[in-house]
Amino acid sequence: MIKKLGILLMMSVGVLAGCSNSAMEPEEINPEIDVCEVCNMGLAHEHYATEVVTTDGEIYKFDDIGCMEEFMEMETDLKEESASKKYVRDVDSGEWIELDKAYYAYHKEFWTPMANGVISFKDRESAEKYVKEQGMGEVLLDYESLKEHVWSWEQ
Amino acid sequence: MRRLIRLFAFNFFLLLMLIPTHSDADEFKVEVGQSIQKAVENANNGDTILIFPGLYKESVVINKEVSIKGEDGAIIDGGGEGNVITVTASNVVLDGLTIQNSGSGQEDSGIHIKKADKNVIQNNTLKNVQYGIYIANSFENQLIENSITSSKAHFSKRGNGIHLFKGGGHLLQENEIANVQDGVYFDFTKDIEVSENHVTESRYGMHFMFSEGILAERNHVEKNVTGFMVMDSAHIDFIENKVTDHFHFRGYGILIYETKDILVEGNEILRNSTGLSLEYGGDTLINRNQIAANQVGLEFMGKNENNTFSENNFIGNVVQSKISGEDMRLDDGVKGNYWDDYSSFDLSGDGVGEEAYKAGSLYDRLLRKQPYWQFFFESPSIKLWTKAEALFPSFGTADVYDARPLVEPVTMLQDTEQRSKDRMMPGIIGILFILFSIFVIVKGRKLR
Repeated sequence: MIKKLGILLMMSVGVLAGCSNSAMEPEEINPEIDVCEVCNMGLAHEHYATEVVTTDGEIYKFDDIGCMEEFMEMETDLKEESASKKYVRDVDSGEWIELDKAYYAYHKEFWTPMANGVISFKDRESAEKYVKEQGMGEVLLDYESLKEHVWSWEQ
Repeated sequence: MRRLIRLFAFNFFLLLMLIPTHSDADEFKVEVGQSIQKAVENANNGDTILIFPGLYKESVVINKEVSIKGEDGAIIDGGGEGNVITVTASNVVLDGLTIQNSGSGQEDSGIHIKKADKNVIQNNTLKNVQYGIYIANSFENQLIENSITSSKAHFSKRGNGIHLFKGGGHLLQENEIANVQDGVYFDFTKDIEVSENHVTESRYGMHFMFSEGILAERNHVEKNVTGFMVMDSAHIDFIENKVTDHFHFRGYGILIYETKDILVEGNEILRNSTGLSLEYGGDTLINRNQIAANQVGLEFMGKNENNTFSENNFIGNVVQSKISGEDMRLDDGVKGNYWDDYSSFDLSGDGVGEEAYKAGSLYDRLLRKQPYWQFFFESPSIKLWTKAEALFPSFGTADVYDARPLVEPVTMLQDTEQRSKDRMMPGIIGILFILFSIFVIVKGRKLR
């Protein structure tokens, strides 16, 4: 009997664990209700949205990569690699990509919801294509050069 | 030598003759089956092109200073591709046209104006367009009495009614905007007057981003997600607007974020999820507003420096205020505000209560942590708690209070007019009744 109870307990623990966001996957944006954690703006331009997913399954959503960076500055305990995963989207397809695996294009005149001018892409070609189409800007090759970037809210 | 000079003078005179001097303006007529674009190509600066009623399937580029006037029923249809009308010249007039079916790309608009000044866009109807009127890097354009709606899609897929990007000095008056993403979007613009416009059924009534020097007066924004969204801007005046019925889950009447130097005066902020919210605002003057029937009347978050807050009426809000963050005085030292849940008295007869009104109870702070505790807002225990807190104030949190609470609501100009009408009515009815009674009495006597 006790064994059975034990198994039941084990199983329920398993089920509960399954419910929590253990893979730390990003969540679909609902533009009707989702607003940016930092600036309260609605996430109408879905492909510019970004997300931070923490190990305990909390999901924070942002309208612009700049707001996410600002949030990370404030939430120092989430800064460690293991504490959270940070996602951006490919602006063309909306595919979720981890922050450090994406490619970026930057020009201060590029339109983004909070005017940070940084746009994320799934590969280098799309970033280069975007810069060519706009006739301005530069491709930031990786997340490292993004770290060097001075955000609008830091000025 | 003299001959040379003479020859030169003669040639110069000939040259002068060759410069076209266009004296008086012509008027062209365009009928169905003809092309408006052709008419523009044949016109000169200052000409007028009159469009007869009918459907014109074309996209028009206007690169000259012409006036295009549509008669009733003149429809220009862009066929779902790009902009319907593109304006690249200054001093253009577009009047009385129906403009429909733009493309759905990132900037596709009914009327797209780029680097062009002093244009007048009036009495036009724009429908089924991505953006209504998109104006970039331009100055002193006038947008008057246009009616704008976007497509039937969800608001996240639509463009804005009027989008202003850089430039400024525009006038937006009496436009009727519905079913777009944001009614009017100010994007890095300066010195604009926006008055008597009506925006409804959209995401934000008006959206201010990185803009300064804007006067918004006597507009009516209603039934959007949020009425006025003000972010990272400066020097914006909201005067006598009606901001009503924003009951969306994340809806605000007015939301002010990271913005300096704002005047909010004489507005009616009624029936919103949150009436007025300030987060990182500075140097604001909030005066003589009617803040009534909201879920939450007033919300202060984060640091708000140097705000003057006086003579506002708080009436019938479910939660009067939600305050978190810094200490704040909610009065200007002479006059405070009228709070309908203020329970102390005015003993000296100067219209000001003797005891300070303390905003933000412990319950409000609990609500910030657990929003769904709102469910218990009328429960006896919360009532008891609030009463207890009134007797033993301050549980050591941000001290936000009104030291000069008013015991009578401030009468606003807008409702005094209504009141005077209301006062006349019973009087008239009374007089009529008395006259009728006298008449009946006199008649009755005669019958005897």
